[in-house]
Amino acid sequence: MLPNARSEFIAGCRDIAPVLVGTIPFGFVAGVAAVGAGMTPLQGIALSFCAFSGIAQLVVAQLFAAQSPVIVTLAAALVVSLRFLMYSAALAPHLAHLPPRWRAPLAYLMTDQGFAMGVQHFGHPGDRRQRHFYLLGLSLTLYTVWQASVIAGALAGAQVPAAWSLDFVVTLTFLVLLVPALRTRADLAAAVVAGAVVLLAAGLPYKLSLVVASLAGIGVGVLVEWRHQR
Amino acid sequence: MEASALSVWIVIVGAGAVTFLARASFIVFADPQKFPHAFRVALAFVPASVLAAIVVPGLVMPHGAIDLTAANPRLVAGIAALAVAAKVRNPLPALVAGMVVLWGLQALTG
Repeated sequence: MLPNARSEFIAGCRDIAPVLVGTIPFGFVAGVAAVGAGMTPLQGIALSFCAFSGIAQLVVAQLFAAQSPVIVTLAAALVVSLRFLMYSAALAPHLAHLPPRWRAPLAYLMTDQGFAMGVQHFGHPGDRRQRHFYLLGLSLTLYTVWQASVIAGALAGAQVPAAWSLDFVVTLTFLVLLVPALRTRADLAAAVVAGAVVLLAAGLPYKLSLVVASLAGIGVGVLVEWRHQR
Repeated sequence: MEASALSVWIVIVGAGAVTFLARASFIVFADPQKFPHAFRVALAFVPASVLAAIVVPGLVMPHGAIDLTAANPRLVAGIAALAVAAKVRNPLPALVAGMVVLWGLQALTG
């Protein structure tokens, strides 16, 4: 590794540290949820290595417990993963110079927090050639801590007292990500509409409320943006 | 392997495929510049919409029914975390504030 690459990698590992305090209980909850939904610990851990996405893992666990059809479960996993499309589009220009053997693993390791910190770091002035090592460092750190937490949760299973309310960490993790995503009036309109629709549609089966609300929010965001431009 | 055990593994591998394809979409496979402008505008609203649709039920419907009152500890704790997150860039204080308020309210109400 070039000295610059090494310092980028270490800076990434260091900068992700404050996030890990949320990662550990969230991963633990995702492991517990998989086993609580009726998967074996091995299946819960395999799900985590395949999907590496807390919210996708939780949605899959919930729909698995409800004995939903496979196609419905996968469609729900896709909807909660749509935000990765946006992250992917935003990161792509910064990674375009790399060969596929770099881009594919960095894509697999992408997370909400990793995207937020990575895209900020790529925007800094100065030498940009080794910046992907920063993304690799923070992503690998997050990945390792996440998988260890999921494994611990899957093995602990139902022994966690419900009074600890650890599942609330999941909501808080996404709330902390939501706040910086609200930069414009149109963002705010999208979020308010999505939040209202998800409650109104709460009676729909198979987490369809999440799908309907997300699409409604995106639609309203686009409308507000267009009206604003004219 | 019985049918239900097979379907679990289909879900597990399928969830992996779906999440990877979403992540790799533009980094590995496609150039975002080649997509229509409207598509890219819509893409920009995905995080705010999807994240709000995940967060709001966690605050407002903790036990399956809508509770918008101050007696809902998760709503109060979420508002506290929101206030901190709006002020501080670091995610840690907001997470801690949310959990501490929730635990405090749960201890008070028993």
